[in-house]
Amino acid sequence: MPDVTLVINGQTVTVPAGTNIVDAARAAGVAIPVFCYHPRLPPVGMCRMCLVEVWTPRVDPATRQVVIGDDGKPVMALMMGKLQPGCVTPVSDGMEVRTATEKVHVAQKGQLEFLLTSHPLDCPVCDKGGECPLQNLTMQFGPSTSRFDYGDKIHFEKPIPLGDLIYLDRERCILCSRCVRFQDELAGDPVLGFDHRGRAWEIISKSDPPFDSKFSGNTTDICPVGALTSADFRFKARVWEVRPTASICPHCPVGCNLSLDMRHDKLMRVMPRENDYVNEIWICDKGRFGMRFIESADRLRHPLIRKGDSLVPAPWDEAIALVAEKLSQIREHAGAASLGGLAGPELPNEDLYLFQKLVRQTLGSPNLDCSTGASGAPEVVDLAATLGVGRGTNLAKSGAGTAVLIMGADPEEEAPLYVLRLRGIVARGGDLTVINPYPTKLERSAARSIRPHAGFEAFAALALVKAVLDQGLIATEFVTARVQGLDELTARLREQSVESLCETAGVSEASVRAAAQAFATAEHAIIIYGRAALAAGEDVLRALTDLALLTGKAGRPGSGVIALLPGGNARGALDMGVHPGAGSRRGMGAREMWAAARDGRLRGMIIAGMDPARDNPAIAAALDALEFVVVQDIFLTETAQRADVVLPTASIAGREGTFTNAERRVQRFRQARIPEYNTPAGWEVMQRIARALPPGRSESVTDARPVAGRRAQRASGATATATMDAPPATWDYAVASDVADEIAATVRGYAGTTYASLGLTRAPEWGRQPDEAVYYDGTSYQNAEGIGIQIAATADDPKTVFALRARVPAPFTRHATRPYLLLAVTRAYDGGEWGRESKLRSRMVPPHVILSVADAAAHSVAPGAIVRLESDAGRIELPVQIEVTLPQGLVLIPDVCGTPLSTIQTGPQTWVAISRVA
Amino acid sequence: MPPLTEHVVLRDLDIVNIADFDVYLQHGGYEALRSAVTEHTPADIVQVVKDAGLRGRGGAGFPAGVKWGFLPKGVYPRYLLCNCDESEPGTFNNHQIIDRNPHQLIEGIAISAYAIEAHTAFIYVRGEFAAAARGLERAIARAYAHGFLGKDIFGRGYDLDIFVHRGAGAYICGEETALMESLEGKIGQPRLRPPFPAVAGLYGKPTIINNVETLANVPMIVRNGAAWYRQFGTEKSPGTKVFSIAGHVKRPGNYEAPFGTPLRELLYSPDYCQGIRGDRKVKIVVPGGASAGWLTAHDLDVTMDYEALAAKGSMLGSGGVIVLDETVSAVEVAYKMDEFFKHESCGKCTPCREGTYFLVKVLHRINHGHGRKDDIPLLHDVYNQMAGNCFCLLGESAVVPIRSALRLFPHEFEQAISRAGNGHAIPLIPAH
Ligand SMILES: Cc1cc2nc3c(=O)[nH]c(=O)nc-3n(C[C@H](O)[C@H](O)[C@H](O)COP(=O)(O)O)c2cc1C
Ligand code: SF4
Ligand code: SF4
Ligand code: SF4
Ligand code: FES
Repeated sequence: MPDVTLVINGQTVTVPAGTNIVDAARAAGVAIPVFCYHPRLPPVGMCRMCLVEVWTPRVDPATRQVVIGDDGKPVMALMMGKLQPGCVTPVSDGMEVRTATEKVHVAQKGQLEFLLTSHPLDCPVCDKGGECPLQNLTMQFGPSTSRFDYGDKIHFEKPIPLGDLIYLDRERCILCSRCVRFQDELAGDPVLGFDHRGRAWEIISKSDPPFDSKFSGNTTDICPVGALTSADFRFKARVWEVRPTASICPHCPVGCNLSLDMRHDKLMRVMPRENDYVNEIWICDKGRFGMRFIESADRLRHPLIRKGDSLVPAPWDEAIALVAEKLSQIREHAGAASLGGLAGPELPNEDLYLFQKLVRQTLGSPNLDCSTGASGAPEVVDLAATLGVGRGTNLAKSGAGTAVLIMGADPEEEAPLYVLRLRGIVARGGDLTVINPYPTKLERSAARSIRPHAGFEAFAALALVKAVLDQGLIATEFVTARVQGLDELTARLREQSVESLCETAGVSEASVRAAAQAFATAEHAIIIYGRAALAAGEDVLRALTDLALLTGKAGRPGSGVIALLPGGNARGALDMGVHPGAGSRRGMGAREMWAAARDGRLRGMIIAGMDPARDNPAIAAALDALEFVVVQDIFLTETAQRADVVLPTASIAGREGTFTNAERRVQRFRQARIPEYNTPAGWEVMQRIARALPPGRSESVTDARPVAGRRAQRASGATATATMDAPPATWDYAVASDVADEIAATVRGYAGTTYASLGLTRAPEWGRQPDEAVYYDGTSYQNAEGIGIQIAATADDPKTVFALRARVPAPFTRHATRPYLLLAVTRAYDGGEWGRESKLRSRMVPPHVILSVADAAAHSVAPGAIVRLESDAGRIELPVQIEVTLPQGLVLIPDVCGTPLSTIQTGPQTWVAISRVA
Repeated sequence: MPPLTEHVVLRDLDIVNIADFDVYLQHGGYEALRSAVTEHTPADIVQVVKDAGLRGRGGAGFPAGVKWGFLPKGVYPRYLLCNCDESEPGTFNNHQIIDRNPHQLIEGIAISAYAIEAHTAFIYVRGEFAAAARGLERAIARAYAHGFLGKDIFGRGYDLDIFVHRGAGAYICGEETALMESLEGKIGQPRLRPPFPAVAGLYGKPTIINNVETLANVPMIVRNGAAWYRQFGTEKSPGTKVFSIAGHVKRPGNYEAPFGTPLRELLYSPDYCQGIRGDRKVKIVVPGGASAGWLTAHDLDVTMDYEALAAKGSMLGSGGVIVLDETVSAVEVAYKMDEFFKHESCGKCTPCREGTYFLVKVLHRINHGHGRKDDIPLLHDVYNQMAGNCFCLLGESAVVPIRSALRLFPHEFEQAISRAGNGHAIPLIPAH
C-alpha cells in the first residue's frame, strides 16, 4: 500500500495507507490515550478516549480542488467540525492531527471523569493495580477529583465467576469490549457477550460451561482495568512485587514465550511475553494455568532406591553409583545393545542432548527413542526438518497471498495457539483449507472443510497432488532445479483420476480442486499436519511432501510444512538424536525395545521425563521384566514406581535451557528460582551418571547421510537434520550453556544457537513505544530476553534436491466383524502430571468414547451410557459422548489419563465392535 | 400556505377504509407499482424520486433518490429496509400509516425495492405496535395473494419478498445501523461507519433504509409525477409532512401539511390544533422530536421546513411537535427528556452511557429541590463533555434538552437551586 504523509503535533510522519491515527501517532512517538483500542484487536471506537483534533485540507465542493489560502498553503478544516476518535480514523495525505489542544484535553478529562463515575476505586485491593491503564491514564490525563456524588454510584455484586477460571467485577468494568472482541475475533470462541443496555450494560458468558475457551486467560491481560481477574492469580501478589523471568511453555510444540512471575521462590502467575514469531502476545490457558505443577507437594525430593518392594530415599552419591554400577554390569555381561534409553519430548535440548550422548556414546547403545512405543502410537514421520517452514517465516505477517492446508490435525487440542495464528492469517486475507476425518473447531474459520473417510486420508492427499498435475499448477522453475522424479510420479499416477481418488476418500472433487488451486496459486503456502495425519500413515505424508514440492512451497520464508508432534520439544528431541535412526547404526525404537525387554534381549533402561507405563499394562510388564531400570523425573510416575532407581530433577523453573519449537525456533528459558528441593537439572544428572561410569566402547553418532550436495534426499523420515558431528568424549559441563555450546558445535543446523547469541536476538520493535506500558500494561511483557533463532531446514539450502515419493495407497479394507474405526485423539487437558495443582483440574477430560448420532442410535445408547469396545487386541469399557457432526462409523477416544488405550489398540487405527453394557 | 385539499400520505382521512385492500384498489391502488414494473426501468424510478426531491422523513431529511444512488454498481443482493421503529418522543405518524393506510406503504416499498433492484425488503416495526404489525402482515398477505408481491410480479420476472420484523422496545433500534444489528439477531447497537449501509448494511450487503413516511410518498410520486409533487412545500423541502402534534394543544394529532407551513398556523389554525389548552401561552415547542432544539413563544413564525428550522438552531427531525405551555417547569422538562435518553442509551460509548446517567442524577436533585450551587456549571461541563464526542446521535441528542433549557431558562435553574432544601418537586402538568 502506498504511504501517507501527515503532520502530528507539528511533526511530519509517513505511515502506510490505512493506518489509523492512534497507530500513526505511536509511530511518531506521540501517545494518544486509549481504552477500547488495542493494536492487536479490530478497533471499535466506543470508549471515546482517543478523541483528537483532525484537520484536513478544505476542498471546494464545486471544483473539488483544495482551497489555497493567502499564505499559499491549503486552508485547513476541522474534520466534521468536532473531535474524531483516532483509533478508527484512517490517516490521509495532508492531514494534521493535534493531540494536545485545550479541546482535546477537555474531552480526555471528560471521558475519564465519566469512566470513574461508577468505578469503585478499589485500587488498593485490585489485582490490576500497578499495571492498570485506567490508573495510569487517570494520573496522566484525568481530573484529580470527581464531581459525581459518591452515593449515586452504581453497585454490583462483587466479583462473580464468569467461568471457573475468570472472575468479573462489574463495578470495575469500563465496558470497552476488548474481552468480547478477543473471544469473537481472535480466539473464535464467541462465548462472551453483553446483556442489558445503558448503565446496566454488563459482560456475560453465553456458553455452557461458562467461558468455555482455551484462551480465556488472555482477556485478563487485555482488560484495561481489574474487571477480569483469574482464579489463579486473584489476591496472590501485588504486581510490583513480582520478578518476571523469561520462560518458554513446555506443553506443546508452539513454544509460547512466557514469563514466570516470581515472588522470592514462589510462582505468582504466568504471563505471556511478546514474540511475533511465536505467540504474538497470547498464550493458551494450558500454558497460563498449567504451571503450578512446579510447586506441587508431590514433587520428588530425593533419589529413591529399590529395597525389595519399596523405593526408599537415598543420598545422591549412592544412587548415582548404583546406576553406574548396574548399567556397566549389564553392558559387561550382555553388551551395550542390551541397554536402551527413552527420553520425553518435553525435556529441554540440553537434557536430551546429553541423554543421547550418555546412551549412544558413553554407554554405546543405539537404542534410543522419544516416544512411548505404545501400540497405538503412530510412527513419527517428520517433514518438518526436511521441508519445514522456510527460515524467516513469521505467521503473524502471513495473510493475503498465503494458503494454509491443515491435514489431519486438531490445532485447538494439539497446539492451541496455532488457532489464533491461523485465524489471524484468515483475518488478514489468507486462505484456509481443513482436511480432517472428524470435525474440529478450526474448520469453522476455513474457506473449505474437507472430511475424508477415516482411513482414506491418503487418497484425499493424493487427489490434491493429482489435481496439481492435472491442472498444470506445477512450479516449473522450482521443480526443475530441486525436484527429481516428476516423470516417475506422473507415471505412477497415470491410472488415477482426481475424481476416482476423491470418490474413494469420500470427499467433494470440487473442494479438492479448489484447495489444490488455492494452495498452488498462492504466493505462499503452508501445510500443517498432526496426529490424525500421522495415524493415517506414511502415504499421507509422502503426498503432502510432493504437494509442497510440486508447487514450489518449500525452502523459502512464508512457505513449507509444520508438524504438530506430541510434546513441547519433540522437534528438539529428534534434532538431538533421541531416536533410533540418528546414529550410524540403527537401534531399537521404543516398540522394539518393549519386545526385546520381554524376551530378554534388552536388560536395562534409562528413562527420562517419560511415563510409558501409564495406562499401559503391557509396557509395565515389559519394564518389570528388565534387570535394571533408572527413571529420571519430577514426579513418582507409574513408570518411576517400577524403577530400581529414581532420580529427581528440577523443573523448568529451577534451571535454564532451550527448546526447539515446531517452526524450528530455538528458544531459551531462564532459571526462575533456586532449584526446588535442590534438585539438579536433567543434564547434570546425565553428567553425574556418565562420570561415574567406567569408560567403554563408544557409538559413532556421525550421520550416514550428509545434508548438502546435489543429491536426492529422503524427503521424509525422521532423520535429516538430526545429523551430528562426533561430540567430544569428555563430560565437562559446568553450566547449561556449556552443553548448549556443544550442541551448537555438533548438531547440524544448531550452529550459532549459543546462549550468548540467543540472548542477543532482539525483538524488532513490533510497533511498541517506550511508554507503551502505560496504555496496554498487563497485556504482556516486552521481549527483552531474546526471541530465539530459527534454525535452517534441509530445504533452506538451495542446493538440496528432493525426490517425489507419492504413491498410490494400498486399498483400505474394512474389518469384516469389527465395523468401527477407532482413532485416538489428543486433548489439551489430558489429566497429565502438568495439571497438578492447576485450576484446570476441573476441565480435565475424563475418559470417554465419542460416537456419532447414528451409531449411538444403532446401539440405543444415550450420553453417559457405558459401551464395550472390542478389538483384536482386547476390550475396554467407557462412557459415551455423542458428537452431532461426527461421521457414522468413526469412533474417537480421547487420549487422556485413565484411558487404557493400549489394551485395545492394534495400531494407530483400530477396528472395533461396539456393544452396550449399561 | 393553504391546508391540503387532498392528502398525499394520510389518505385514510380522505377515503373511508382505505386500509381495506379492495378499497385501496378501487382508488388506483397498486397502479403505480404496475406502471413502475411494466413500463419503467429501475433507473427511471430513481430519477423521478430524485426529481421530486423526496427527502427522508426519519429525521435527517436526506434526499431519498440521492441515497439510492449511493448503492455500489453491480453488487447483489441488496436489501431495502423500512424503518418503522418510531420511538422518538412525540412522534406517531408511522403508526397511523401502517394502521390506516398500509397498502400505500406496501406499494411504496415494492416500487422502491424495484428501483434499487432489491428482492427482499424488511419492515422493522416498533415492538409496542403489536396490533398494527399484525394488520400490516395481513395486508402483505393480501398483496401476495394478488401477485403484487412474491414471484414474477406482473409477469415481468421481478420477485420481491417483504418480511415484518418486530423490535423489542428500544429507541436505539431506530438508528439505522442498530436496526440492522437487531434485525440480524444481535444486540441493538449502532455500528461504526464507514462502511455506510448503502455499501455494507444488513448482513454486510448493500442496503437502503428509509422511513415509513418516506416510502409511503413513493406511489403518489410515481403515479402523479415529480412536478405534481413539487407543487407542495418549498423549493428545498418539497411535498407534505405529517406533523405529530402533542402536548398542550386543544386538538393534538397527526396533521399532514405542506412543508413551509408556519408553526403558528399548525398550533392555532382551526384546520389544525385550534390553539393552546386553556388559551395559555406557549412556553416551549420542541418541533422535531426530543432530539430537536427548543423553540419558545418568540419563534412561532418559523416555517416548518428543514431549512427554516435549522436556521433557528433546531431541526425538523421526525416532525413530532411537542407543545408545552407556561405551566411547565423547564427544569422538569429537561429532566424528563434526559431521563428518556438515559433510559434508552445503549451503553456502547462512554459519554452517552455515563453522561446521560450523570446529567439525570444532577437534574433529578435540582428538580427535587436538592440542587447545589455548583450544579449549573456542572451541568454545562457534563453536556460539553458529551457534545460532539458520542458514538451516535442518540448521545448527541441527549445534550439538546439540557442545553436548550439552560440557554433559554437559566433563571429557572437558579431559582430551583436557591429554593433548594424545601424539597418539593414542581409538577409537570399542574392539577386543574
Ligand atoms: C437514536 C436514533 C433513533 C432513530 N429512530 C428512528 C426511527 O424510529 N424511525 C426512523 O425512520 N428513523 C430513525 N432514525 C433515523 C435513521 O437512522 C435513518 O436515518 C432513517 O431511518 C433513514 O430514513 P429516511 O432517509 O427515510 O429518513 C433514528 C436515528 C437515531 C440516531
Ligand atoms: S471486562 Fe474488561 S475487557 Fe471486558 S469490557 Fe469490561 S473492562 Fe473491557
Ligand atoms: S499454545 Fe502450547 S506453547 Fe502456547 S501456552 Fe498453550 S500449551 Fe503452551
Ligand atoms: S451515543 Fe453511544 S451509548 Fe448512546 S446510544 Fe449511541 S452508541 Fe449507544
Ligand atoms: S474510541 Fe478510540 S480508544 Fe476507544
